[in-house]
Amino acid sequence: MSSSSMALRDMQRDLEAKANDLAKIQKEIAKNHQLRKKYTIQLGENELVLKELDLLEDDANVYKLIGPVLVKQDLAEANANVRKRIEYISAELKRIDATLQDNEGQQNSKREAMMKLQQRLQSIQAGKAKA
Amino acid sequence: MAASSSARGELEKMGIDQLKALKEQADLEVNLLQDSLNNIRTANARLESAAGALNDLSLRPQGKKMLVPLTASLYVPGTLDEADKVLVDIGTGYFIEKTMEDGKDYCQRKINLLKSNYEQLFEVLAKKKSVADEAGMVLQGKVRQLQAATTS
Repeated sequence: MSSSSMALRDMQRDLEAKANDLAKIQKEIAKNHQLRKKYTIQLGENELVLKELDLLEDDANVYKLIGPVLVKQDLAEANANVRKRIEYISAELKRIDATLQDNEGQQNSKREAMMKLQQRLQSIQAGKAKA
Repeated sequence: MAASSSARGELEKMGIDQLKALKEQADLEVNLLQDSLNNIRTANARLESAAGALNDLSLRPQGKKMLVPLTASLYVPGTLDEADKVLVDIGTGYFIEKTMEDGKDYCQRKINLLKSNYEQLFEVLAKKKSVADEAGMVLQGKVRQLQAATTS
């Protein structure tokens, strides 16, 4: 009798631990979603800028706001900078997508493990109640 | 018509709890979309006023006396220099010098872009809203059925 109730307690503690893990992963997923949103917005903005820069004539003046200072920039340089940023942001987005997929896989497997444990626990408790 | 009736069939098959969760999810999405639509409308209004200001500026002669804002409460008298060149903020800290014509064109282009985004978003919103409404109706029907079954 006592051994089975100890096993019961162990299982309950295991269940709690699994629940905590699940909550942690869900927080990770939420954080990654936020990050992904931020990067997507930045990517969109940079692409708009690139489009505008492309429409310009080669001799037009481009200025960049660095702090409180408007600094004159070369059109070619501005183009290169924006393109590089777009590349960087796209790479970050891909990385985050991979992480998100990974996290979701982990979340699903942990959820399954939790459910199985819960079912076992419930069936044991039901068995004890009958006895 | 066929699409909505098959979706209805799907909704009918779901349990009450699932249906409630679906409806809440759909309502949440509808609210998010509404917020986005409002944001687009605000941005559009700002662009329209910018375009209006540009138009006004183009009418002013060079050398006209004006008051230049240094802070929110401090204005300094000055004269209007060349009104043909304007600096356009294109985002991420970049500004480009354009002629008055190009500046007006830029504003118009942005306004058109926002308008088309608004229309696309509106369509999505309409679809989500109909899903949410359908789910709500089916849910009510089921709840009523359940109540009728338990009272009889």
